Amino acid sequence: MNVPGRRRKTLLWARRITLYAAVIAIVVWTLAPVAWLAISSITPYNELISDRATHWFPRRPTFANFKVMFDLSSEVGERFVYAIRNSMIVASSVTAICLVTGTLAAYALARLPVKGKKTLVLSLMSIRMLPTIALVIPFFVLVSYVDYGFMNIGSSFHLFDTKLCLIILYTTFILGFVIWIMRGFFLTIPTELEEAARIDGCTRLQALRHVALPLCAPGLVATGILSFLLAWDEFLLALIFTRSNNAITLPLFIAELGSQYITAYDQISAAGVMAAVPPVLLALLFQRFIVQGLTSGSVKG
Amino acid sequence: MISRKPRKRDPEGRRLAWWLLSPSVILILAVVIGPLLFAFYLSFHEAEPMVGGINTRFVGLANYVYYFAQSDLFWPAVRVTVYFTVVSLLVELVLGIAMALVLNAKFVGRSFVRAIILLPWALPTVVNARMWEWIFAGSKFGALNGLMKVLHVFPPTYDQVWLGFDVPFESVPVLGPFLKWMGVTRALNMIIIADTWKVTPLVVLLVLAGLQTIPESLYEAATVDGAGFWRKLTRITLPLLKPVLLVVLVLRTMELFRVFDIIYIIMQYSIRVLGVLTYEVGMKFLHFGSGAALSFLVALFILGLALVYIRLFYTEEGY
Repeated sequence: MNVPGRRRKTLLWARRITLYAAVIAIVVWTLAPVAWLAISSITPYNELISDRATHWFPRRPTFANFKVMFDLSSEVGERFVYAIRNSMIVASSVTAICLVTGTLAAYALARLPVKGKKTLVLSLMSIRMLPTIALVIPFFVLVSYVDYGFMNIGSSFHLFDTKLCLIILYTTFILGFVIWIMRGFFLTIPTELEEAARIDGCTRLQALRHVALPLCAPGLVATGILSFLLAWDEFLLALIFTRSNNAITLPLFIAELGSQYITAYDQISAAGVMAAVPPVLLALLFQRFIVQGLTSGSVKG
Repeated sequence: MISRKPRKRDPEGRRLAWWLLSPSVILILAVVIGPLLFAFYLSFHEAEPMVGGINTRFVGLANYVYYFAQSDLFWPAVRVTVYFTVVSLLVELVLGIAMALVLNAKFVGRSFVRAIILLPWALPTVVNARMWEWIFAGSKFGALNGLMKVLHVFPPTYDQVWLGFDVPFESVPVLGPFLKWMGVTRALNMIIIADTWKVTPLVVLLVLAGLQTIPESLYEAATVDGAGFWRKLTRITLPLLKPVLLVVLVLRTMELFRVFDIIYIIMQYSIRVLGVLTYEVGMKFLHFGSGAALSFLVALFILGLALVYIRLFYTEEGY
């Protein structure tokens, strides 16, 4: 047997083993915390507070923590059901509004002659990067002004602690994001296709509807999902502007669980698992689109 | 090829453009620009809540002067935010590049691993915070304490208070006092781990996309020339990843500098990064004027970074 050949083989094996060890490390690092969350969610409370070193898996797995969340007769259950409903309503409304208005604006900025286009695009980008905390105080004061104004004219209309308020405020950071990403997608389609459609007698809007939009379908999906995730995830504004079951969202519900019920990690885990299901499913099902959306515009050249 | 630049005279196109833009422009004026100007106005006033609105008194630059010169909370908050940002950034970049390099190699089950890597990123921030809070539980119930005992790092009776306020390396001469001055605590370092776990997938995805643009032939040529792994990494991969890494750097810095959610949920007001301090001043103590000034300082810093980012982009897109 020739020695160099054997050495090369050993080296190849060493490399392969290192690679697989690294892959396993990545998988464990990624999955272990989530796995622990899932295990905790099906562990009864008395088993959860036992010595971890010897007791990891529940001896009597239970779905009680999940059942409580849907038990409308309990305070926690009622609040959870409202929270998940509110989150759904707020996230989908914001996504719909931002997708429609944002896509139109993005098309105009990508294709049409607009005076001061550069300034507009630049200010949109800056707005997208503005931290929410910078807007929280004026929002708070303005919302209380609006509510007080309506109260003075004898109307019961108010913004504080309503889903409408959250929907309006969430557009601040999601609309700029949608315009920015969709503009990137429109810029990637060649103009020739739309021009051909216009020569065939289409108006600009028809060209947008029948040519540009279908070509941008993956972009629309990606942008829609990312907007939904952003709205589903938002915490700071919900913390300030919602209190009651009428408007609280899931992030707020989960954040306050522990403060009212000491070490209620069984319930926190169950609620956490359920709050994670929609975004995780969306992310895994539409992974290709999302990666496209996240990298479009940030990796070019 | 037909030029991308629209024709000069096109009144119909101009009119349509404004129709398409107006809903977004109106929305943004109403919910972003208006409130922002109002915050600017507030930052020069002393503003307290009263029945039916606020009570304002013009104080000029006093709010800003207060934070720069008098407040004993502002500079510590700046320092701890800088520490959080810099350390998180370093860990994210090193870990992200390493993971991307591994995932770029060929191995069995690659598409599966690439799919699950997105999982932490998809987990809502609040769920992530509470999950790690539970992992870091400072009693025998905590998963990290359990793991340490299983691995025989800790004796069976020892439980570490992970989210405690002890300063790491406190007894080391120069380093200990420096970390203390920066406001570093064990809890802060643990939160950095929790946050890094969630956002590294994003870095991995961006770096992976960048790696795929590097032609294989470069590596083949380097192999022929006898270059090893390290040489290829420092001479080919990293230089060619520079544009992607710059984007990641600026984007992540902006996100990290504004951190609020994860720290507030786990520690409430006991780690005062700028985000938490602003919230405390404005929303807990209801000092709208000085809170607005503080939030303006944070926003200015981030907008400065945004300008860097825009410069990177705008030239690249060839406008």
